[in-house]
Amino acid sequence: MAKTITDYFEELRGTRVWRSVFRSGTGSSTLHRALAVQQNVFLHLFSTKVRTRMLSFSTTWYLGTLTFGTLLILVGTGIPLMFYYHPSVPQAYADTKDLQFVVSSGLFLRNLHRWSAHAMVFLVFAHMFKVFYRGAYRPPREFNWVIGVILLLITLLLSYTGYLLPWDQLAFWAITVGSNIASAVPVMGNKVHFLMLGGNVVNANALLRFYVLHCMILPLVAILFVAIHFWRIRKDGGLYAHQSEPTTVAAESVPAAAKGGQFQ
Amino acid sequence: MTDPTSNPTTDPKDFIAGMDSNARKSPTRVVFVTRRTSAQVKVADEDQVQTYPEVLFRALVAIEVLTIALVGVALLFNAPLEGIANPLVTPNPAKAPWYFLGLQEMLHYFPPVVAGVLAPGLVVMALIVIPYFNINIEAEGLFLKDRKRRLLIFYLVAAGLSLFLLVIPEQPMYVALVPTLIVAGFMALAAQNSPQSPSAFRRYLAAKPLSFWIMTWFLFELTVLTAVGTFFRGPGWSWVLPWRS
Amino acid sequence: MQSLKNTFSSLWQTLFGHPVRAFGAVSLLFLISLAIAPAKNYFSEWRHYQNRYLALVRGRGDAVTLQRHFHEHDGIQQIWLPTLGVVDRCTTCHAGLKEASLADVGTQPFRQHPVIPHTLDQFGCVMCHRGQGPATTVEEAHRSTAAWEQPILPARYVQSSCGQCHRAPLTGTPQLNLGRNLLGRYGCVHCHTIKLPDGSAIKPTDVPPSLSHVADKSTREWVYAWLKDPQAYAVTATMPNFKLSDPDARDISAFLIANSTPIAGDTAPVAPGAKNQKPPDPTAGASLYGESFCASCHAVQNAAGNVVGGDVGPELTRVGSKVKPEWLRAWLRNPRVYDSQTLMPHYRLTDPQVSLLTAFLGNKTDSDLLANVHLDAATPEQVAHGKLLVTEYGCASCHEISGIKKPDNFAPELTRIGSKPLTQIIFLPGMTHAIPDYIAAKIREPRSFGSALKMPQFSLAPAQVDALTTALLSLTDRAHDLPLALTVPSKPPSNYQPAGKAGQLMADLTCFSCHAINGRGSDMAPDLTWEGSSVQRPWLQAFLKNPGTLRPALIRRMPRFNLSDDDAKELTDYIMAVYQTPAFDRDSMPSSGYPPAQVEQGKQLFYSKYACQSCHIVDTKVDKGYVGPTLTQVGSRLTAAWIYHWLKDPQAMRPGAIEPNRNMNDEDARALTAFLMTQKGSNKQEAKK
Repeated sequence: MAKTITDYFEELRGTRVWRSVFRSGTGSSTLHRALAVQQNVFLHLFSTKVRTRMLSFSTTWYLGTLTFGTLLILVGTGIPLMFYYHPSVPQAYADTKDLQFVVSSGLFLRNLHRWSAHAMVFLVFAHMFKVFYRGAYRPPREFNWVIGVILLLITLLLSYTGYLLPWDQLAFWAITVGSNIASAVPVMGNKVHFLMLGGNVVNANALLRFYVLHCMILPLVAILFVAIHFWRIRKDGGLYAHQSEPTTVAAESVPAAAKGGQFQ
Repeated sequence: MTDPTSNPTTDPKDFIAGMDSNARKSPTRVVFVTRRTSAQVKVADEDQVQTYPEVLFRALVAIEVLTIALVGVALLFNAPLEGIANPLVTPNPAKAPWYFLGLQEMLHYFPPVVAGVLAPGLVVMALIVIPYFNINIEAEGLFLKDRKRRLLIFYLVAAGLSLFLLVIPEQPMYVALVPTLIVAGFMALAAQNSPQSPSAFRRYLAAKPLSFWIMTWFLFELTVLTAVGTFFRGPGWSWVLPWRS
Repeated sequence: MQSLKNTFSSLWQTLFGHPVRAFGAVSLLFLISLAIAPAKNYFSEWRHYQNRYLALVRGRGDAVTLQRHFHEHDGIQQIWLPTLGVVDRCTTCHAGLKEASLADVGTQPFRQHPVIPHTLDQFGCVMCHRGQGPATTVEEAHRSTAAWEQPILPARYVQSSCGQCHRAPLTGTPQLNLGRNLLGRYGCVHCHTIKLPDGSAIKPTDVPPSLSHVADKSTREWVYAWLKDPQAYAVTATMPNFKLSDPDARDISAFLIANSTPIAGDTAPVAPGAKNQKPPDPTAGASLYGESFCASCHAVQNAAGNVVGGDVGPELTRVGSKVKPEWLRAWLRNPRVYDSQTLMPHYRLTDPQVSLLTAFLGNKTDSDLLANVHLDAATPEQVAHGKLLVTEYGCASCHEISGIKKPDNFAPELTRIGSKPLTQIIFLPGMTHAIPDYIAAKIREPRSFGSALKMPQFSLAPAQVDALTTALLSLTDRAHDLPLALTVPSKPPSNYQPAGKAGQLMADLTCFSCHAINGRGSDMAPDLTWEGSSVQRPWLQAFLKNPGTLRPALIRRMPRFNLSDDDAKELTDYIMAVYQTPAFDRDSMPSSGYPPAQVEQGKQLFYSKYACQSCHIVDTKVDKGYVGPTLTQVGSRLTAAWIYHWLKDPQAMRPGAIEPNRNMNDEDARALTAFLMTQKGSNKQEAKK
């Protein structure tokens, strides 16, 4: 049965329409598989080959992949949520209530969005520490590490701006507490605070500002940096973790050169 | 960093690229070589698999499993929603999102400039510069070289940090002190061992470089402070037990 | 076993052995998991209730009508009232609220709503019942949740919701009216500020006596006993119990007595000889007490323990233990000397009468009350400590005490207590976390929230606690934020003051303690705003001199003030001249000379068509009506024009009159007027004389 499915699939891949879309065409040779990655605008960000060692779960825990997964979920749930939401006071809160009580599966959408957001923040941190501990920040990957730090900040900002949108007590006071920290910046603290909220207190202006940041600017910036982040993996030599430390040999005896990277 | 094409010590033939089918004639950047590291030959014989389908489908499966898990959570637990925002009614305690509660915990001890601006600013700066410090890249066991001097510096720094946490804040910051002392304890243990130690754990500790210790300390502090801020802080930022409310 | 393991491992291989196959298998699970949410959405709680409603309706005779009503609007129902800020989805599950034919259905959520003066579509549900209107789950709609603190209002406080819009008393909300009344009467608002949505504040209606001259009136021993337990002295006392320790009560009494200053003329010592001369007859004192209708305002506890009498003035059961006889004499002579603001009228009693009453009241003692009170002379330290305590307990919030300023905002403001956030409330262990429970507990036993709290223990019946809770629960954010156009305002308070000599006389007699005129005064006795149009001059003048009985069923009656002829004439002139209705001329109809046929027709109407005798008495031998005033002398009491207009529309003459409006035609009204005007009552009066 599996064969028939494969056959049908091969037939499909041979059709003109398919071939007009996917440039790799039929066939399953290594070349075709390489082309499937290379010739796809999204997949060409990745290398065509990956070290087998990197596939085992313990090496990366798939944390980067999973983080990207939460981003996909968040975009996927965030867009339908936007259909039901007005960033105005007090309509924002009423809309959140309507999502909970009236919109079909609205509560589920909001739950999934909320929990995925928390999961993303957690996974980003986990990813960062895992990358550090397996030494993957080392040259030539140092700039990709920096991009990672930027993505961490963007994730925090995304989560933080989204926190205000339900316009409930939890949101309001979390943002109030958080934004007050900005006032502590020396010299221009109050200016920063004002710029952040569009006023001196959390109010309708802040809600609108956070909404635009959350739904528009930050996701675009995040996707841009995610793309660079992925592309740099390939450019900086592919997924890599240095081999576990030699345990019986003194470090001095291991040439420093042994810990370098491999590039393409 | 130097351009490998102009580096006489590097033989381009040592590098077998993962994809060699379509080499370009024009010069491309192939490698970064910093002062003390050099590209390595030994990687050449690593097994590789095609991204499509091996890696791609694994990633898709991973994402799907994650989604299924999150869908399960979303079906079982409702996202929190409280009453409509009311600037006149301050909840006690008013808490920031959980990932900022480590900061809020610090705000309890330090003035806002320190806890809210300086500390997170320094953390971000430190994270950014990590890969640009050779000491991070060398990855040698911290106490394997120049042991005496490094041990002295370690004791001074550990004592200084502990004293700082005890004296400088408005009240002694035990929440941060305890993780510091635990990490310092492990570091002291690492100093007593060498990669020849009989126990695997001791060998493991002995081989860890400075960057490992700093990052571990940071991770530990971050986890403890965030957990304390999230679960163990109640009205007036006083201690509470989460299971008693 | 081994084969099972093999089978399993081969199955695992088939499913997950290769990433692509694993992807296929996991994708299936993935799609299933995504389908759960819509399924869960479909089998929602509200749909379950709608199906149950349809099942309930199916077997009934009027099933088709009910089903049609239901299907006219399927799915989630909503009442949206933007001006009130109401989004109600209650009718989604409560599907039968408007179905009159479901009267026999007792199970919720399908019960029919009792008839109320408002329609569901214009007011929604949460305006009255509170709870979370937008919710479509049982839990969220009815109970207190993180998202909505105020749960459904317990039914016994539901009148509080009426009070959010209706500022004036309503006939349908006795509990709310009582509660609002008690807020003033028990002096809650002396300490707690309660601002009403129109900006005014609730004013206290009790009159706590000034303590600046208390030594003239009472002994320190009595003050001590009173402070320890006011209700031991008088069960109806509204003064709360501060649960003072013995030394604290001792020091406060010491301060109050030491702080007191005498007023000239507020004591009238009896000549030592005169005292023993002639022991006054106790029965004479009692009958004078009765004739003066003291019981209209003052209550006395009888032997059976029942409190009988009015509640305008203090209870007098043990007054002999409280007041000094010489003060009482002066007080009975003219209360305004001691307290110019008192509600007590200035009876023009003769000296012998004063002696009689003083002796009668002086005998009302209770030997137990002061039996155990032994106070040594006060030391300056005790006085100083007493002053401190008086300040701490905020005594000056209610009482005037010379040298101590009335504290501002002594207790928390209660203006929006009905919407107080639960996070700002400290509940007792085991208490339901809801506002009504908190308010009721706080009123019932304030010190249970902490023995150091200052709020004293009030002596309130459970019904009074409920009434007060109801009144306080009406003070919500919504009540304050409603557009004024949507509220039913109360009448603004009037500070009407009659002018001239008659005005002084009316103040002296404290007419407003019982009567209302032009919006000012009490509702205990008839409103006198249009008295001049209503009554005939000779009757009024005679009545003021010697008030007769108009309503034999009532205990409270107009007392006899022993007015001089001049004073009675002065008052009569003023009333006849000033208190006239603009609606008609009082002399437009003759007071006598009606044709006998018309009189006879009126009599027929009185006894047959309108059956007036069920409430009124014209012929004392036959009629048994005690609800309305006796009409045997109505022809010499009221003007014909008044009777005529009254019969046509009683409520137009006096709003709130209980006499029903019978929509009488002109002819009937005239005939009845003619008949009533013949009831001059002269025969009976002469016979009595």
